[in-house]
Amino acid sequence: MNLTQAPTLETSRLILRGPEPQDIAPTIAFLLDRERSEGFGSSPNRGEAWRWFALNVGHWHIHGYGYFTIEMKDSGETAGIAGIWNPEGWPEPELGWALYAGFEGRGIAYEAAARARRYAYEDLGFSTLTSNIVPGNTRSVALAERLGAWFEREYENIHMGHDLLYRHPAPGADDGRDDDGSVEAYA
Amino acid sequence: MTTLTLHIPEVKSGDLILRTICEDDLDQLAAFYAGTRSQFVGGPLSRADCWRLIAGNLGHWALRGFGMWVIADRGTGNPLGICGFIFREGWDEPELGWQVWDGYEGRGIAYRAAHAARTHGAAHFGLDGVISYIDPANTRSQALAERLGARFERDGTLLGTPCQVWRHPKSGEVAA
Repeated sequence: MNLTQAPTLETSRLILRGPEPQDIAPTIAFLLDRERSEGFGSSPNRGEAWRWFALNVGHWHIHGYGYFTIEMKDSGETAGIAGIWNPEGWPEPELGWALYAGFEGRGIAYEAAARARRYAYEDLGFSTLTSNIVPGNTRSVALAERLGAWFEREYENIHMGHDLLYRHPAPGADDGRDDDGSVEAYA
Repeated sequence: MTTLTLHIPEVKSGDLILRTICEDDLDQLAAFYAGTRSQFVGGPLSRADCWRLIAGNLGHWALRGFGMWVIADRGTGNPLGICGFIFREGWDEPELGWQVWDGYEGRGIAYRAAHAARTHGAAHFGLDGVISYIDPANTRSQALAERLGARFERDGTLLGTPCQVWRHPKSGEVAA
């Protein structure tokens, strides 16, 4: 069953694909885990979490992009989400990411976000991207910086409140790393 | 940019058409949800939350194979409201819902749209004898449910909020 027309992307360890019904349960579990999803935007109950899942599917249909599901190549497990988010009221299209329980600390978010960014630049034709990060979310700040993004300004997010806006390097301003985070060795 | 690839049927009935909701409907949806008449259907809501309603409804169609349409004037194309089926997480079963936007009440639009949606749902979605959740204070919707041949079934709750459950007749049943 294809809920969207999202393409399937690959990195060395990951598949990035559109949201599918088997992602509903792990996505709801993530959104109900307040500590884990606080910086992303947690849901107060199962009903709201389901609606977020449907919202992401509809976001793909309206914009032609949205959050990919991150799937582990080796196990097929749903590891999280990464993609481009741009609902009404957003300052600009955002590169976002979130890992589900048990998938942190392995560079998965970096690998997925870098691939999604490359997709936005090369396939969607974006000329710039931002990431919106809630103050205090030091892990996401560290990842944004590892992706080469820099703090640009503070602003009020219509959904998240006080927020930090990070700016990603433009297409072509390669930071010398592959999608898997390794530095290219040039002879 | 719209790259909508969902297969949502159009339903024509008299001078009305039920069609896919889209971003262009945001202004009128937001106007309705800014007003007090939206209190019985989850309002008031901000413009940003109304956009999320639109995207969520498209996702609902993808996930369930049915959802809510925009009710439009078949001649002019003007959107007049929303009608169709809702079956989100937390719903006991699929629901037939409706709302008519400001300036279009009192013309039987909700009745004709709900009737057309109900007939289509029974014929094409396997949704026959559905319910409508109605706020206990929403006497206009209760009157419309009666006119549609639905019967009050029980007092229930939806997502923790008290509401009435009305049961629609099946397609073969003659409305009392």
